[in-house]
Amino acid sequence: MTAATRTALRARIDAFTFHGESRPALRDVTLSVTPGSLTAVLGGSGSGKSTLGKLLAAWLRAGPAGEFRGSLELDGTRLDFHGAPDDPRINPAEWSRRVAFVPQDAASMLSTVRATVAEELAFGLELRATPRADMLRAVERTAARTGLSGLLDRDPATLSGGELRRLAVGCAVIAEPDMLILDEPMASLDAAGSARIEELIRGLCATGTGVVLLSQAADRLAGEAMHWTVLDAGTVTAAGVPAQLIGSAALEHAGVLVPGVLRPEAAAVPGQAPAPPAAPGPGPARLEPGLELRGVGFGYSQDQRRGTGPRQRVLRDVDLAVRPGEIIAVTGPNGAGKSTLLRHFNGLLRPTEGDVQVCGRSIAGVPVGTVAASVGLLFQHPRDQLFERTVLREAAFGLRQLFGKAEAEDRARAALAGVGLSAAAGAVHPAELSASQQRLLALATVLAREPAVLALDEPTVGLDRHGLERLGRAVEAAAARGTAVVMVTHDLSYARATAHRILELDGGCLREL
Amino acid sequence: MTLRLHPFTALTAAACTAVITTAAASWPLSVAVGLASAVLAVRRGVAGRVLSAAAVILVPLFLSLLVLHGLFFPEGHTVLAAWGPARVTAEGLRFALELGTRTAACVLVFLLFSFTVSVPDLVSALSARRIPPQFGFVLASTLTLLPAVAGRLERIRQAQETRGMVIRGGLWSRAGALRLQMIPLVLALMDDAGSRAQALEARGFGSPGPRTSYRDVADPPAQRLFRAAAFVLAAAAVAARLVVSWPAGGPS
Repeated sequence: MTAATRTALRARIDAFTFHGESRPALRDVTLSVTPGSLTAVLGGSGSGKSTLGKLLAAWLRAGPAGEFRGSLELDGTRLDFHGAPDDPRINPAEWSRRVAFVPQDAASMLSTVRATVAEELAFGLELRATPRADMLRAVERTAARTGLSGLLDRDPATLSGGELRRLAVGCAVIAEPDMLILDEPMASLDAAGSARIEELIRGLCATGTGVVLLSQAADRLAGEAMHWTVLDAGTVTAAGVPAQLIGSAALEHAGVLVPGVLRPEAAAVPGQAPAPPAAPGPGPARLEPGLELRGVGFGYSQDQRRGTGPRQRVLRDVDLAVRPGEIIAVTGPNGAGKSTLLRHFNGLLRPTEGDVQVCGRSIAGVPVGTVAASVGLLFQHPRDQLFERTVLREAAFGLRQLFGKAEAEDRARAALAGVGLSAAAGAVHPAELSASQQRLLALATVLAREPAVLALDEPTVGLDRHGLERLGRAVEAAAARGTAVVMVTHDLSYARATAHRILELDGGCLREL
Repeated sequence: MTLRLHPFTALTAAACTAVITTAAASWPLSVAVGLASAVLAVRRGVAGRVLSAAAVILVPLFLSLLVLHGLFFPEGHTVLAAWGPARVTAEGLRFALELGTRTAACVLVFLLFSFTVSVPDLVSALSARRIPPQFGFVLASTLTLLPAVAGRLERIRQAQETRGMVIRGGLWSRAGALRLQMIPLVLALMDDAGSRAQALEARGFGSPGPRTSYRDVADPPAQRLFRAAAFVLAAAAVAARLVVSWPAGGPS
């Protein structure tokens, strides 16, 4: 099929309102995707990007999901929706053959019943009765495109975040859809992983696939788009070619990250590491480290389900001392063991060799819940960290034991205010928040405890510009109070702008960058 | 290289062993089958899981058998001990032993099968036999649900511990912690199910029509022959049992 004859997708959304909501999640949005083009929909947290993506891909359907007024046009066939019971019904399986979607949470794309990456890739083809020989070829081709060739026999449950995202993209493109909608495809990917996805997207565009990129960053890939649509509070505030929109007020107001614009301190001295934001405490040599790792080694059992088999070394002889008020960034490729390292700080994982000391005391044998009084850990996936019924209860969990009943709620509210979530405190369930707000809520739950050691696992992922600014202020304030901060991040420019020292974890060892 | 069993071969072997053991009704055979299952479980590295699951099922069963038949067996006349209406009779104990060992053998055989079968192979084999793929998916989900729930529970526990919940080794401490984890667990699983349903629908899960299978499960002729033989043997055992225990005088 040539590019000229391939599907074009046009959407006009007068209003889309979720059931039970009074305000539309999207209104007055139009989008047109031509074959082989790259279109970027840019917007901050909660701007409606994911809702738009799911609506275009029929993951959200008029009727079951909400009331839709507008039209969707695919390949010249237009479906009009009036929010009425006799509106056309879309078959999601048929629609997704043409318009595929990769959600922000890549894991939710997977079937969970397939034993290997190869079988997970083939799952959608099996359901479409593709002959086995064709499936084998398609799996091989898709794996090569997404950089999964070496992982085909792995259990999808054991993949790292970046590998999982590549698998989700692979599952979406294996059926060769005409349109591909990607929701934050670069989140939590290391440089190599991002480069592979970029290459894949370029390749798809070159073969005529129309790609829609939903992103809160006007990053390198978005810069290659032919057309930008800026989404703010559920509506389009600007649209045009990137050159017109870069630096525009609409982009700024929407909270879109523009690398280089966000971090004036980093941009001010191009090519040079910026000065650390604050000196790490007075007389550092005399201060006892807030956190110290001595010769820490760790390995996972190869058969993790049974806890048996030889151990795969992840950390080797790691020494690390973080002084109060010091901010340390740890970088490294996907799967290097950065999250594993952080989980040693509060005892969620125990070293097989060496010792971890918090405020001068070894935490060996001390329950995690007790260590938690001194160590706050922000998980890589905020959803793993949130479990309460309301935002306020979430932030207040465990504070009573530390500060007493009277003070606990005040501290929770103060922490929520610090990350801009005061409005959501009482009535909103954490699962209803956008991904960016979920991360900020998780951060608030950690900050409210005022720990001596703050461990942040990929804190910047999924945050828009407003969120990043809040994160930056919170980390600086914590360090100023004398908290020892260790953050794991792929975002080297953020690390340079924020941290006093940058370490790289590679091959299980830490070294200064 | 170890022999790779087709899931149907393993299932047939387990089912026929259970049928033959039940039909034979001989406690030495039941004990032998039980021991053989335990040995195989050790060799396959699943002994811990098989035996602990078996204990959960069998210990209450043995206790109830002892009470029911060991103490109150009306046909028993060789009284070994008596406390009022309760009499321990040799016949009662023998009956409890028969029934207990037979059930234990069947439970062990099926547990061994369920802990060693490759679920993906089973699902693939089922779909190759034109069993509706939804059935295979539900079966696979059921078998993968427990690890998924355990994984989610573990993450909730870690999140709570990270925020100061102290869980000590004691039973009460663990039970108390579990109570706090239940609501988040159910909500999280429902949330997961909702988003996964959208993805599954989009990948064509709900659409009717034929399916194919990427996974190729080898079914060598020898294993097919074995399955046929096992069926014949099991049928013969049942027939023999019927003939032996048919009431004297035969059918009228």
